[in-house]
Amino acid sequence: MFNIIQRIQSLSNFYLTVSILLCIVTTVVSIISMFLDETSSIPAQLSNVVISTNLKYSRSFGSVGGRPKENSKILFDLDMDLAPLFNWNTKQLFVQLVAEYPTSVADDGAKVTYWDSIITEKKYARVHVNKQRGKYSVWDVSDSFQGRNATVKLKWNLQPYVGFLFFGQTKGEIEVAYPAT
Amino acid sequence: MNIRQQLVQLLNLAMVLSTAFMFWKGLGLVTNSNSPIVVVLSGSMEPAFQRGDILFLWNRDKYVDIGDVVVYEVKGKPIPIVHRVLREHKVTNKDRKVRQLLLTKGDNNPTDDLSLYAHKSNYLDRDEDVLGTVKAYLPKVGYVTILITENKYAKLGLLGLMALSTLLTRE
Repeated sequence: MFNIIQRIQSLSNFYLTVSILLCIVTTVVSIISMFLDETSSIPAQLSNVVISTNLKYSRSFGSVGGRPKENSKILFDLDMDLAPLFNWNTKQLFVQLVAEYPTSVADDGAKVTYWDSIITEKKYARVHVNKQRGKYSVWDVSDSFQGRNATVKLKWNLQPYVGFLFFGQTKGEIEVAYPAT
Repeated sequence: MNIRQQLVQLLNLAMVLSTAFMFWKGLGLVTNSNSPIVVVLSGSMEPAFQRGDILFLWNRDKYVDIGDVVVYEVKGKPIPIVHRVLREHKVTNKDRKVRQLLLTKGDNNPTDDLSLYAHKSNYLDRDEDVLGTVKAYLPKVGYVTILITENKYAKLGLLGLMALSTLLTRE
């Protein structure tokens, strides 16, 4: 009546059902816990943000055909504690320092990343850095940043072990002007 | 074993195949993406995504946001790449339509993807290159497809197993 193939089949069917159910439960619980932990209003203290610019001529710095391209760098102080984002379904946090400035097309026409970091454990969730240099030399689509004012903020992305990815930003953004050259 | 029984079996097989196909295409319609589910093939997004993880994509947002993980395909290179958006610029092109330009980078890569893009292009185009943004994640399960496509013994073994099971379940 029951041969080995049927046994294997029903066992794997059961295994599949249980794992799908587990995935659904995990996903739902982690969505609920994201709401309960008030993750949308984590404060971050950004200060002493200074943006400097210089001219670059290489393609890897955005220059096209050897034309000078203005690149910008950042210096900043940051104090924040992202511990509320670490729950049992948090695999890693990706945090990035983003400058957003208006262009002729839209108010949030450009968003650029100056610094980012990966946090994989709760004990490293407190980020406290002074005079931190950005990771990237940033250029715009246009040749210059002159006269632009940017809103600098910190965004995070929560990578779960299973389920939906969560995105958000910390409270406490700061206005910074690009230097006139 | 009569012919009728065999025909029913054949019909069942066709049903299974067409259901899977309909599910895939339906999912593609809902998400507006050519490949709504992808398997990670490289370690360039580690430790977030490892080889063999499954990603679920969504492609109905008009613009991609900075920090989103996108799957893109460069013209002429039919390999989907999963990387994070490092910069985004909205610009108007010649026919006054707003386009979104993206610069991406793998979390585990030291530099951005400038060298991966099509010849003479410094950005990705949101509408032309991006297959979708990653919304949900399932670990490890997709490793089966990597095994089957990259290991010929795994492929033969699976085929043999399937043949064996069809031979043995005939009762």
